[in-house]
Amino acid sequence: MAETVIYVARKIITMNSYQAEASHVAVRDGRILGVGALDDLTGWGDYRLDERFAEKVLMPGFVEGHCHLMEGSTWRYHYVGYHARTGPVGALHEGLDGIDAVVNKLARIEAEMSDDKTALIAWGFDPIYFGGRRMDLSDLDKVSTTRHVLVLHSNGHLLNASRSVLQAANITAATNVHGIAKDADGEPTGELQEMAAKFMALDAVGLDFAAEVAEKVSLDNFGRIARQTGVTTATDLYSTAPEEASQNLAAWSSQDDFCFRIAPAFAGASMPAAEGVARVAELMKLNHDKLRFGLIKLMTDGSIQGLTGRMRWPGYYNGAPNGIWNTGPDQLEGLVQAYHDAGRQVYIHTNADEASEVAINSIEAVLARSPRPDHRHTLQHCQMADESQFRRMAALGIGVNLFSNHIYYWGDEHRAQTMGPDRAKRANAAATAERLGVPFAIHSDAPVTPLGPLFTAWCAVNRLTASGYTLGPNERISAASALRAITIGAAYSMKMDQEVGSIEVGKRADFAVLEDDPTKVAPETLNEVAVWGTVLGGRIFPGRDGD
Amino acid sequence: MTIPLTVIGGFLGAGKTTLLNDLLAQDTGLRFAVVVNDFGDLAVDGDLLAAHGGDTVTLANGCICCTMGDDLLLTLMQLVRRPDPPEHILVEASGVADPRPIADIAVLHPGLNRDAVVVLADAVLVEETAEDQYVGDTIRRQLAAADLVILNKCDLLDDYDQNQVRQWLAAQAPNAAIVAARRAQVPAGLLLGVGLGRETVAAEQSPAHHHHGHGDAFRAVSFNLTRPLDKAAFLAFAADLPKSVLRAKGIIQLRDQPGHWVFQLVGRRHELSEAGTPPSENSLVFLGTPEMPDEAALRRLLQDALN
Repeated sequence: MAETVIYVARKIITMNSYQAEASHVAVRDGRILGVGALDDLTGWGDYRLDERFAEKVLMPGFVEGHCHLMEGSTWRYHYVGYHARTGPVGALHEGLDGIDAVVNKLARIEAEMSDDKTALIAWGFDPIYFGGRRMDLSDLDKVSTTRHVLVLHSNGHLLNASRSVLQAANITAATNVHGIAKDADGEPTGELQEMAAKFMALDAVGLDFAAEVAEKVSLDNFGRIARQTGVTTATDLYSTAPEEASQNLAAWSSQDDFCFRIAPAFAGASMPAAEGVARVAELMKLNHDKLRFGLIKLMTDGSIQGLTGRMRWPGYYNGAPNGIWNTGPDQLEGLVQAYHDAGRQVYIHTNADEASEVAINSIEAVLARSPRPDHRHTLQHCQMADESQFRRMAALGIGVNLFSNHIYYWGDEHRAQTMGPDRAKRANAAATAERLGVPFAIHSDAPVTPLGPLFTAWCAVNRLTASGYTLGPNERISAASALRAITIGAAYSMKMDQEVGSIEVGKRADFAVLEDDPTKVAPETLNEVAVWGTVLGGRIFPGRDGD
Repeated sequence: MTIPLTVIGGFLGAGKTTLLNDLLAQDTGLRFAVVVNDFGDLAVDGDLLAAHGGDTVTLANGCICCTMGDDLLLTLMQLVRRPDPPEHILVEASGVADPRPIADIAVLHPGLNRDAVVVLADAVLVEETAEDQYVGDTIRRQLAAADLVILNKCDLLDDYDQNQVRQWLAAQAPNAAIVAARRAQVPAGLLLGVGLGRETVAAEQSPAHHHHGHGDAFRAVSFNLTRPLDKAAFLAFAADLPKSVLRAKGIIQLRDQPGHWVFQLVGRRHELSEAGTPPSENSLVFLGTPEMPDEAALRRLLQDALN
């Protein structure tokens, strides 16, 4: 018979309703045999008592219901963000507080590069903190006048290209398309905004992000970050799931040292719905205990900070025209219908409130035709929903996964530019969702913001912006609620709550191992609770290699 | 040589697929590629699609149909890099897409040139759709980006209503030429911009294009030029052409500037670019509605540039 290991911990926070706290958890065959005091567990037979976590606090492994595997690939490039961020090898990358600091860091990296051909690529750049000054060609000239240099912005919509990239992409003063920033003399500044211009720059330096995500090293990097942040179950929330990449993912994730469960959400509009339904059915045959195909991701609008989110009246606070539809209302309803009829669970990306309205309308229409209990269709982001929309969601059984990290990273900008002071107070309204009984989770959208459920919980609990402003104090939730949201709440949103999300007999032995008790620390320091590592299916994964 | 790219935009139901099916059924003499969201509605041989089972199908006449999948840009790159690249690319934009950024790809990509943004509008529904709570502004943006608006389903309107909707469109699409159509039927030259004269003759022989009061008829005018032109006067001529001229194309020579120049006009948009290979003769071709000035009148308008 398989070995039974009983772990003793300073405290076990179970997220299990009949027994919220315990001191011991018994594990057999990678699953939880029982939770309680030692006496409650010894009756199962021979066991080995493992005391390595005696001073630690165990929680259910954290579930990140909305992130991207690109969090693992982006670290092959150089981080130049304003906020300090921890990379996969455990190094803390200092925040950079100005364009000069970014340029200096890149110049140092450039000086150490051994060949002249390799492009220098940086990501996470955030000029909104730099008082209005934009990066331009003269800045990147200081890094190199000959090497291709690309600086990707953290908002995901802009990039800065060096002079040599513009030359290779044939972008000059005479290039007359939208999205190429130009100075007073009509010369391009190197800042590129729209799809076509950005693509030309990426193509000029030979970058293909989609291919990189599917590489083993990217998954390993993601795994390292997951271990450091307590994440044992994650999503890849927009996957076109090419055959070879999917086969590789299935093989790699089945290995013993693969340290997280991954649920890719299939890009439902990337092929006609009938083909998509059949494709997902094929992909689901690859599923195993650490791989879950089956989720569907549909898009509606763009992003609020990119001014492409679809807002209801009165629109953008700064007067920008309304955003764009990636999938229009009619097409959306058809797609929801097709995947709903196939028994799939549909995630709908909605950022601004008109997009949420259209998504709710679509699900309502589909449910009226084809009722299905416990569908768990979920709005993803749903950043601006008002109370009436949450009421409709509750009535229709629609869940929500809120982008709480936005409050910190873009809350000031939403207040000043996009939503204005009034509507920004209801951004990612977790308290309203909770009060109205809408099942909710909270997320990072990594790599858009860093993976780290305790930080995400801190955002939902404190609602502090980067400048220290409390954005909509009425929408703060308790630490207990936030901790539920990053465990059983997110597991529920993925229909995996029977398997993960709480420490409960029969479930996977997935734990987040913490140095402190997040229910006892001051709520404003929730993000400072250190993560030791994780346990996945009974296997121990320290956060730091070699520790 | 760069490949001209034409964007076919317009809301769901405006007739984009019908237009493309019509084009694919014609012998245009051109090996063009059509990039669509979904093969589903295209009237290409179903067995052919099944045999390929992929994203790209080559038809018997050499034309290519492909789906854009998740990434239009990559699809376009692959078309440009083919050993037998198409001579023209038409992209069917999604019903809610802004066609302008798609046309921008062709401006930027060294292997492509921007031909035109053609937007279809349902003559019966477009005004109402443009007021829709969710997609109204999207429709208005599409129209504002158009070089050519094909006002489709005009056979369902009487002359008075058609006139009303044309006036409304002229305000929505100030930079576009507007052409009325039924069943989305227009000459291939209007979409592809080549051999403007030849297709027009074919189109005028086709009964489908002879329903006056329903779809517009078309006429073509072409003439040779024996002398180089004054650049400023020629550009003024191009800018002042009446809106009955839908498309124009030609090879000209300029005084004070060596070489040959390609002139292209779609709607209000026109440009001069250097010709790669010198032609045997210099000529101008115009395609327009029956109200378009005849050859004598066009030559008179060109007089300043010739003097």
